[in-house]
Amino acid sequence: MSDVVVFLFSSSGPDRATEGALGAARNLADSLGGRVHAVLVGASNEALMRASAAVADAVLIADDPALAEYQPEACLAALVQISRMISPRAILLGNDAYSQELAPRLAHRLGGSATGDAVELAVDDGRIRARRPVYGGKAVAVIELLQSPAVVWLRARAFAPAEARDPSGATVTRLAVDVASAGGPRIIERAVEDAGESRLEDARVIVSGGRGLGGPEPFRDLGEVASLIGGQLAASRAACDAGWAPPSWQVGQTGKKVAPGLYLAVAIHGASQHLAGISDAKVIAAINIDPDAPIFKHCSFGIVEDYRKVIPLLRTQLAAQKK
Amino acid sequence: MDHSEATREVLWNIGNVWLMYLMFAVSAGVAAYGLYIRIARWRRGREAVRFDRPAERLRLLLRHAAAQGRTVRERQAAIFHTFIYTGFIILTIATTVVLIEHDFGIPVMRGAFYLYFQSFIVDVFGALVLVGVLIAAVRRLFVKPKKLVYTDEALWILTAIFAIAVTGFLIEGWRIAATRDPWGSWSPLGYMVAQISSSVMSEGAMRTAHLIGWWTHAALVFGFIAWAPYTKMAHVVFGPLNIYTASLEPIGAALRPIDFEKAEVLGVKALSGFTWKDLADFDACTECGRCTSVCPANTVGKTLSPRDLILDLRALLHRAPIKRNANGADGGASEDVFDLPIVGVVESASPESLWACTTCAACVEACPVFIEQMPKIVDLRRYLVMEEADFPDTMQEAVTSLESRGHPFRGATASRVDWADGLNVKTINEARDAEVLLWVGCGGALIERNQKVVRATAQLLEKAGVRFAILGREEKCTGDPARRIGNEFLFEMLAKENAERLNNYGVKKIVTSCPHCFNTFRNEYPQFGGSYEVYHHSEYLARLVDEGRIRPVTADERSITFHDPCYLGRHNGVFDAPRKLVQIASRRGVVEMEQSRATSFCCGGGGGMSFIEEPKDKRVNQERARQILATGADLVAVGCPFCLTMLEDGVNARRGERDVRVMDVAEILWQSMNSENTEQTKDYGTNGKKPGD
Amino acid sequence: MNIIVCLKQILDPLIPVRDFRIDPELRAAVQGSASLVTNIFCENALETALQLRERAGGKITVLAFGAPSAEDSLRKALAMKADDAVLVVNDGNVHPDPMAVARVLAAAIRKIGAFDLVMLGRESGDWGAGQTGGLLAEELGVASVSFVDAIEVADGESHLKLHLKRQTDTGWERVAAPTPLVVTVTNDEHNVPRIPKTRDVMMSYRQPLAKWTLDELGIDAAAVRAGGDYYRVVDLSIPVRETKCELVSGDSLEDKVSDLAARILQVTRAM
Repeated sequence: MSDVVVFLFSSSGPDRATEGALGAARNLADSLGGRVHAVLVGASNEALMRASAAVADAVLIADDPALAEYQPEACLAALVQISRMISPRAILLGNDAYSQELAPRLAHRLGGSATGDAVELAVDDGRIRARRPVYGGKAVAVIELLQSPAVVWLRARAFAPAEARDPSGATVTRLAVDVASAGGPRIIERAVEDAGESRLEDARVIVSGGRGLGGPEPFRDLGEVASLIGGQLAASRAACDAGWAPPSWQVGQTGKKVAPGLYLAVAIHGASQHLAGISDAKVIAAINIDPDAPIFKHCSFGIVEDYRKVIPLLRTQLAAQKK
Repeated sequence: MDHSEATREVLWNIGNVWLMYLMFAVSAGVAAYGLYIRIARWRRGREAVRFDRPAERLRLLLRHAAAQGRTVRERQAAIFHTFIYTGFIILTIATTVVLIEHDFGIPVMRGAFYLYFQSFIVDVFGALVLVGVLIAAVRRLFVKPKKLVYTDEALWILTAIFAIAVTGFLIEGWRIAATRDPWGSWSPLGYMVAQISSSVMSEGAMRTAHLIGWWTHAALVFGFIAWAPYTKMAHVVFGPLNIYTASLEPIGAALRPIDFEKAEVLGVKALSGFTWKDLADFDACTECGRCTSVCPANTVGKTLSPRDLILDLRALLHRAPIKRNANGADGGASEDVFDLPIVGVVESASPESLWACTTCAACVEACPVFIEQMPKIVDLRRYLVMEEADFPDTMQEAVTSLESRGHPFRGATASRVDWADGLNVKTINEARDAEVLLWVGCGGALIERNQKVVRATAQLLEKAGVRFAILGREEKCTGDPARRIGNEFLFEMLAKENAERLNNYGVKKIVTSCPHCFNTFRNEYPQFGGSYEVYHHSEYLARLVDEGRIRPVTADERSITFHDPCYLGRHNGVFDAPRKLVQIASRRGVVEMEQSRATSFCCGGGGGMSFIEEPKDKRVNQERARQILATGADLVAVGCPFCLTMLEDGVNARRGERDVRVMDVAEILWQSMNSENTEQTKDYGTNGKKPGD
Repeated sequence: MNIIVCLKQILDPLIPVRDFRIDPELRAAVQGSASLVTNIFCENALETALQLRERAGGKITVLAFGAPSAEDSLRKALAMKADDAVLVVNDGNVHPDPMAVARVLAAAIRKIGAFDLVMLGRESGDWGAGQTGGLLAEELGVASVSFVDAIEVADGESHLKLHLKRQTDTGWERVAAPTPLVVTVTNDEHNVPRIPKTRDVMMSYRQPLAKWTLDELGIDAAAVRAGGDYYRVVDLSIPVRETKCELVSGDSLEDKVSDLAARILQVTRAM
């Protein structure tokens, strides 16, 4: 009753998110004095299995053909069966759409309590508490889950990966589940959108250029910086108006409202109309030659320099420091 | 010769005079019918009170109809229209004199009066009519200004007037020659015709020519009288009538409230939604095109044309029957044109055009016959917004934000009181004894650049020892953008809410740095239970300067021009107070732009237009920026948060040409208060020069 | 098609950061001068429902569980042309937990009667738990689909009569689903809530609006007032924000940019 189950969808990973989820499970199990059961749901994924075995005490593989492709009702039924089999104290999931969809229903079926978007987990007097941003990031709440098991989907990248151990220490078991009777909605078509075309509104990192760029060419250099940090390009209205960037890149009051984790504003003065479009950005950083530019009143960190000097150096530095 | 004997025989050489009376009767009848059907259509319009305050109306009539106040603002038109207009008046008087002499048998056409007026003056003014027609024709045929409407009707009118004048001189000459009129030389043009004719024609030929010419002249005159009411010449009657029934309020008070309990249609969907005065406006139009030529949207290449809107609506009106089409004769199949939805039918009333209007009212100000174009555009917008919910997305966003959070700037990051950080500004809740409420406005509070303006204003008030307070977080938009966009319902809610709050606090005096708030409080809130003494900050500060409570100690060295905010200047007639502040705070005074004061050119931000993305190559603010650059000024002073934003964008877009700064008059004044004070100048001072350096 | 759309009224999420305050005792935000608005995802749900009704016909009932002021959200929904409105009045705890809310909504839905579709926003702009839809589906004993942005009625006789389009992490999926069903709705360019006509806004104030109490629904009001037994907010705080911009340090340009790169990577790595 003090074990922790972490459900990982084997269609992806291992990546930073699965590492974070495993790390969170490890920490929580250690606090509870229990074991970590990593459950891989879906088609088999060798790499993910090895990564899980390096952290978990037990790796369970649920690769029933019915689970090979995600179907909500079948998957939920499987998760319920597996959870009942292990009867853990806590169940952790990632922050993918499927996990978010399943978490509350899983909690309900197990008689537990769920919360999500957790950035920190703690055990207080035996009760599991999750820290999560609320009110659009304006506040942070600590939620205490009153029923057991605690079902939590994590903002997985917020958790540190666990120290890897010898994977041979973990038991690896294949699990049989019975989901044949699960009816309900069926996914009949799946489409993956070109990542380059993904919505600016959803971008996690945005590198944006403004009037100060002086022309369309610098956007190529910004593009290279963006690709180094997994970002997308955007532009201020002035830059779009000048025809240096397509209208779909425009961020601001009359353009897109974005909410990235990092917004790097290059040669953007920071008119209030532009700031209105980035008010939900978690971190704003600025490169601008004008120390009086309003953008510096709204960013977390920045550099007062000509972007022409900064960008080439930044590219080298990012590439070097990433290693 | 004894002048007292001077006269001439009326109707000399003319028989069958009854025919003339018959022609006159027919002509008058046809003309009267023409006027009647127009007026009858107006009477289908809704109510409007426009015959009150006769003394003021008479003054307006004298100034703008009799004295042609607005007509003469344009040089070419001033010349030709004055010639034709005065000529018509003199000739009409002369004809009346003949009528009195001949038909009433009162001998007036005698002696010196006959010689000086009836002969000489009439001849001279007849000649001026000829000259005027020729100038108008040259303008229409060769100069071809863009604003005119090129119709055959207009050419026929000129031809007809020309022919009437020419035949008049010919028959006068032939009469003088044939009768050897001893006073003939008092009519210089007629005398000239007489001299030439007698040298080439026999007396008999001249008699015959006179007879034919006289009837031709009579036919032309009576024909013209009959035809005129069916043409734009109807302005001879409807122009003065329109001036007499013009709005006596400032332009800023032009929009009417809606009775939401009773209104069947919100806004104007069809002609039936207009008042009789709106319909009369259409018929008064002289097609002079001044409204369109001063329209900022039209100037930068947008489709909006107030002239075309009025003319298209006039054409639509003329298709309407004078009485409601009863369902019956044709089974109700033919719909009454009066009920036809205007947007969608009338080309110039396309949504694209209607959503280009900044409500700057340059058109209203320009019209010689006082047509009110702008309020009609807002009427049509009201229908689109309130009945169809069909308006531009970005405006919808502004309206939604107004509804839910009381300001139009979705995503604003500032709070209502951020601007006052570090200042000792109290809310009215904390300072109930304040004499003045400083109304900050959404622009002043929430747009970072404008926060400095409110800051400067508050500091000036403090320095002058004015006991003022703000509403703080309780302040909400006055509703101006909602009203101009056409959401009268939302405006009314905001107006009532604000008025109630202000009344609860016992507010008497309001000072605001936003001309839109200023106009709304001054001209529109009284209709919703809020009557206050309202000042634009420039007016109030100018007064404090006059009273010696504010004393500038340094003068700005830069060359400064002033941009009149539409809702301060044209809408409310405040032109001098802001200029005075610039004057007193600068060394060089104000350099005027090519369009300023009442005929100033909009910044492009009024009428909800600051919530619309204008096409890159059609931006009103950039045209105004061009005018600003043309003055050679280093700094443009403004008095409006919207103008400040629009013009900064405008001059920045032209930065390659020359650097121009934009500052509010309060900032300029505050900067001149203290040479040590650099807060306002740090960001905006140019040439590295601090005032007083 | 009988559609029930659940709406939540929340504190304006666009309130400026400086105006945002919390009550540490109540562990909830203080409204202050901020306004209350309908949660945007709920409006997306309503818009999706209205579009579905335009094609498939039927009736839309809007349902809210909230303070008396939530009537405004329902009136606005009526102005957008929802057919009926029900307010379950919450006169106690400001923020009952999602399970308590789901139980109240389920009871209200059972009282409203048979339904084909229950639609909710994917999450709310205040607490953002994102759970009410899933828990409600379980309470009602029906299946659910999340992150839907469009709904079509399928041709043919299949019992999977709804075709839903829903967003995933990498793209979208089409889901064939039976009724009755619970869906949570996310935003998309096609379900931006419509602007109601002023005429309809005026009419909405004259339309009937049912107000039910928890007692009428047979729910233990005391338990709801206590916040529920699912979870408990034990702490709420406003994170201390770095409002002042830190300029990167370093003696040379190279040092400064190196610092800049380090800070950038620090942020991206924490995501």
